[in-house]
Amino acid sequence: MRRRDLAFLALGIVVALALPRVLYSALALRILLWALFAVSVDLLLGYGGMLSFGHAAFWGGGGYAAALLAKTFELPFPLAALGGIACAMLLAAPIGYLAIRRRGIYLAMVTLAFAQMLFYVANEWRGLTGGENGVQGVPKILPGLSVGRTADFYYAALPLVLVGLFVAYRIVHSPFGHVLVSIRDNEARAQALGYPTQRYKLIAFVLSGGIAGLAGSLYAIGNSFASLDLLHWTTSGSAVLMTVLGGMGTLWGGAVGAAIVLLLEDSLSSVTEAPGVVTGAILIAIVLGFRRGLLPEAGRAIEWVALRRRGG
Amino acid sequence: MKRVIALAMVAAVMAAACGAAAPSGGGAPATAVKLTSGKLVMGVINDQSGVYADLSGKNAVEAVKMAVEDFKAKYGDNALGGQIEVITADHQNKPDVASSKAQEFYERNNASVIFDVPTSSAALAIAKVAGDQKRLYINITAATTDLTGASCNKYTFHYAYDTYMLAAGTGKWVTENLGKQWYIIYPNYAFGQDMEKSFRSAVTKFGGNVIQSDGSPFPNQTGDFSQLLLKAGQLKPQVLGAMQAGGDLVNVVKQYNEFKLKDQGIKLAIGLLFDTDITAIGQDNMAGVVYTTPWVWSMDDQAKSFADKFLKRTGIRPTFAHAANYSAAWQYMEAIRRAGTDDADAVVKQLEGYKFNDFFIRNGQIRAEDHWVMHDALLAQVKPSSEAKEKFDYSKVLGTIPADTASRPLADANCKK
Amino acid sequence: MDLGYLSVQLFNGLVNGAFYALLSLGLAIIFGVLGVVNFAHGAVYMLGAFAAYLLLQQVGIGFWPALLLAPLGVALLGVIVERLLLRRVYGLDPLYGFLLTYGLTLFIQDAMRLRFGIQGQPYPTPTELSASVSLGVVGYPVYRLFVIAFSIAMCAAVWFLIERTRLGMVVRAATERGELTRALGIDVDRWVTAVFAFGIALAALAGVLAAPMRNVAPLMGSELIILTFAVVVIGGMGSIVGAVAAGFLIGALASLGAVWSPALENVIVFALMAVVLLVRPAGLFGAREAT
Repeated sequence: MRRRDLAFLALGIVVALALPRVLYSALALRILLWALFAVSVDLLLGYGGMLSFGHAAFWGGGGYAAALLAKTFELPFPLAALGGIACAMLLAAPIGYLAIRRRGIYLAMVTLAFAQMLFYVANEWRGLTGGENGVQGVPKILPGLSVGRTADFYYAALPLVLVGLFVAYRIVHSPFGHVLVSIRDNEARAQALGYPTQRYKLIAFVLSGGIAGLAGSLYAIGNSFASLDLLHWTTSGSAVLMTVLGGMGTLWGGAVGAAIVLLLEDSLSSVTEAPGVVTGAILIAIVLGFRRGLLPEAGRAIEWVALRRRGG
Repeated sequence: MKRVIALAMVAAVMAAACGAAAPSGGGAPATAVKLTSGKLVMGVINDQSGVYADLSGKNAVEAVKMAVEDFKAKYGDNALGGQIEVITADHQNKPDVASSKAQEFYERNNASVIFDVPTSSAALAIAKVAGDQKRLYINITAATTDLTGASCNKYTFHYAYDTYMLAAGTGKWVTENLGKQWYIIYPNYAFGQDMEKSFRSAVTKFGGNVIQSDGSPFPNQTGDFSQLLLKAGQLKPQVLGAMQAGGDLVNVVKQYNEFKLKDQGIKLAIGLLFDTDITAIGQDNMAGVVYTTPWVWSMDDQAKSFADKFLKRTGIRPTFAHAANYSAAWQYMEAIRRAGTDDADAVVKQLEGYKFNDFFIRNGQIRAEDHWVMHDALLAQVKPSSEAKEKFDYSKVLGTIPADTASRPLADANCKK
Repeated sequence: MDLGYLSVQLFNGLVNGAFYALLSLGLAIIFGVLGVVNFAHGAVYMLGAFAAYLLLQQVGIGFWPALLLAPLGVALLGVIVERLLLRRVYGLDPLYGFLLTYGLTLFIQDAMRLRFGIQGQPYPTPTELSASVSLGVVGYPVYRLFVIAFSIAMCAAVWFLIERTRLGMVVRAATERGELTRALGIDVDRWVTAVFAFGIALAALAGVLAAPMRNVAPLMGSELIILTFAVVVIGGMGSIVGAVAAGFLIGALASLGAVWSPALENVIVFALMAVVLLVRPAGLFGAREAT
C-alpha cells in the first residue's frame, strides 16, 4: 500500500471510531453501513462501468435474510450476516446475468426494474417478510457480549464493515480489478485480448452484490427490523446519489457521499419543508458542476492550492 | 441537532410567553411536580413531506404545541415544575429514520414521550425503541393492532383508532342498515389485509355475507382500479367495501363514479377516510358514503370550539389525527401532574386504568392490559355540499359506536407485556 | 369466466396501454434524438395533469382546450429546462442525463407537493364523454373508449410525422448521423430542442387524459415511470413502433394476467421484461443499443 493510502486508512479508522461520540450512535451506524453500501455501488460503477440502479435488491435481500436468520434461529449476528451475504449473491447472479446482456443506461433500467420486482414480491410474500410491517423484533446477539445498545452494536459491527471495505479494496487493486477497468474502458479491446468479458462483469456484479448484502444485513440487525424500504428503488437511488456525490471510481467517495447525504437528511427536516427540492437541486448541481464528485474535486482543489504555494 | 434544539427552544419560549399572557387558573397539584431532568421534552415524529403530511404532519405538531400553551394557560407557567419543550422530526415514512430519530430524541434530547407516528412499520419500530429505552410512546396515527398486540410493551400506548374500530363501526352499521351482501376490495399490504379481516368478521357477525374480497396491488403503479370495479359491476353486491387509503382511495372513488356503480344500486362503504381525502375527491363526488371515525370536528360544541381555535391557527379544520395529538398531549401532561413526576413508570401507572372525557375522547378508558385507549367512535356520512354550512363541513354523524363495541376484545389481543 | 367480461377487462388493459404507449413514445423519441433517458417523464405526465387542473380552476378552461394548451405549456417549461440544464450533458455518458433528470424529478415532485399538498385535486370527466356504453353485462365509461381511440390516433400521427415527412427525415438523420448532418449544414441543435419539447408534450398529453380518471397528485407519475422503463426495455428503445406496440401489448397482457391472478399484477410487467431479456436482449422491436 502506498503511504497516502495508509494515511487515509488511518484517518478513516479514527473517524469510524469517533463517529458515535460526535453524532448520536443511531446516525453513526447508518452512516457506516450506507458508506459500505455506496462503496459496493462504486465498485460496480466506477470500476466496472456498470450503473446498477437496483442495488437495493441486494442490500434488502441480504437484510431480510439476515433478519430472518437472526430472529428464527437466534444466530449471532456475524453468522446471520453471512447468510445475508449468501442470499444477496444468490440474487445478484441471475439479475446480473440478465442485466449484463445490455449495456450502459439499459443495464441501469434493467436493474431498476428487477429490484422493483423483488420489492413487489416481498410485499406479496407477507408470510415471510411481514409485508408492510416488516420483520420486527430482530435480536442482536453476540455470544459473551451484550450488543443490544446501538453504540455497542456499532463497535461490534465495525470490524465486519472494515472487512467488507478491505475486500472491495483488494478487488480493485488486483489483477481481476485491473481487467475489470480495462473492460470498462474498452470492452472490445479486452475481448480481443482474449478475456471472457461477460464472466468478469458477472463476477464483479455478484461480488458487489455480496458487499451490499453485508451492509444490508448489518443494517437490518442494527435497526432490529427489516422493512420494505430496504428494497425500494429510491434506496437504490440514494446509494447512487452518494456515490456520484463523493466521486465515482474513487471507492471511498461513496463513504464521504453517504456521510454528507445522511447528515443533510438528518438536519434538513428541521430546516426546510421540502427535503425533496433540496436533494434534487443538489443532485442537479453535482451533475452540472461537480461531475467528478467531491473527493476528486477536493483533491484537485488541494493540488491547486499546493501548486500555487509552490509556484508562488 | 443544535438547530432542532434551538428551534425548539424558541418555540418553548414563545409558548411560555403566550402562556404568561393568559390568566393562570386551575389549582396547583397536591404535591409540586418534580421533573426528572428539570424540564419536559415532548417529541412528535411523523411524516411531514409525504403521503401523511396533510392529515397529520406539521399541523399535528401545532396541535401538541397548542396543548402545551393551553395547559400553561390553565395551570400556570410552572404547571409541571419546569420548561416544556416540543421537538419534532420528519420520519419520511421510513422506519429506519423513525427508529433513529426516536433514539436520538430519547437519548440525546432526553424526551420523555413521543407522539403521533403514522405508517405501521415506523410505528412498530418506535415501539421497540420505547420499550428498550423505557420511555413513553403514545401512537396516534398508525392503524395497526399490533401496537396493542404482538408488539405491545409497557411504555407503548395506542390512542386514537385501529383497524378493529373502523371495521366494528362501519361493518355493523352498514350491514344492518344498507345491505347484507358485500364485496370488499383492499390494498394488498398489512393495513389493507387487517382491514379486510376485521371487516369480514364484523360483517359476518352482524348477519351479512362477504361474497368475495379481492386485493389490489400495493403500491399501486397505475392508479387503476377498473378491473376490480368492473368485477363489482358483475357481482352486483349491495355494498362495495373499499379499504384503500389516501391517493388510492381517491382513485377508487373517482372510478367508482366513472363506472356508475351507485346507479346500479351498489353502495360504497369506506374503511378509513380523512377530511383531506374528501377535499381531494370533492365533497359531492362522495356524498352518501358511510365511514367510521373517532371524531368529527362538527360533532358538538366542545369539538367545535377546539376546531375554531385550530382553524384560526392553521387555516384548516382539524382532522381527527390533529385533534387526537392535542388530546393525547393534554392527557399526558395531566398524568404527570397526578404522578408528580415525568418518570416513565410513574406516569404509566397513572395512565393505566384511567377513565376520562375530553373534546376528543368520549367515555375513555386506558386499558391496563394492552394500553389501548378505549373510547366511543362515530358512524359518519359525507353530506352533499348543498347541506354544508361552511367550507370544511363535510360530514354528519349518524350514530355512536360505544367504546366496548369499538375495541378489540382483550382475548384476541395476544399482548404479553 | 365469460368472454364478454374478459373483453371488457381487455379494454381496461388497453386504457393502461394507452398511457404506456404515449409515455414510452415520448421517452423513445427523446432518447433517440438527444441520447438522454428522461427520468422526469413521470413528473412531466403529472405536470400535464396539473396543468389541466389549473386551467380549469384558475381560468375556467375545460378539457378540450386543455388537450392542446396543457401540453403546450408544459413543453414550454421543457424547452427552458432543456436549454438551461439538459444541454450541458449531451456529449457525456447517458448516466449523467439519467441522474440529472432523476434530480429534476425529486425537485419537481416535492415542489408540487409543497404548493398543492400530497392528497390530490379533483378533476371532472368532460360532460360530453361522461355517458356509459353498454358492453354486454356492464356499462363501460365512454371516456375510457375515447382515451383508447385518441391515443391510437396520436401515436399514428406521430408515426406519420416521423416516418413520412421531411421533418421526420431530418430528425432521423440527426439521430443516426449527427455529425454528418451537421456537416451538411443542417442546424441539428435547433431541432433537438423542438423534438425534446415534442416528447415532453406527449407525456403531458397523457397527463391531461389521465386527469379525469386518476388522482391528480404530485406523485401520480412516480411509480409509472419505472413501469415505462420496463416497457421500453421490452419494446426496444429507439423504435417508435416498438414503444407504441409494446405499450398497448403490455397493458393488455398485464390486465388479462391480473384477472387470472390478481397477486401477479405488479410483477407481470417485470417478469415479461425478464423473459424478453433472455430471448431477445435488444427488445421485441429493438434496433439500436446505447454505447
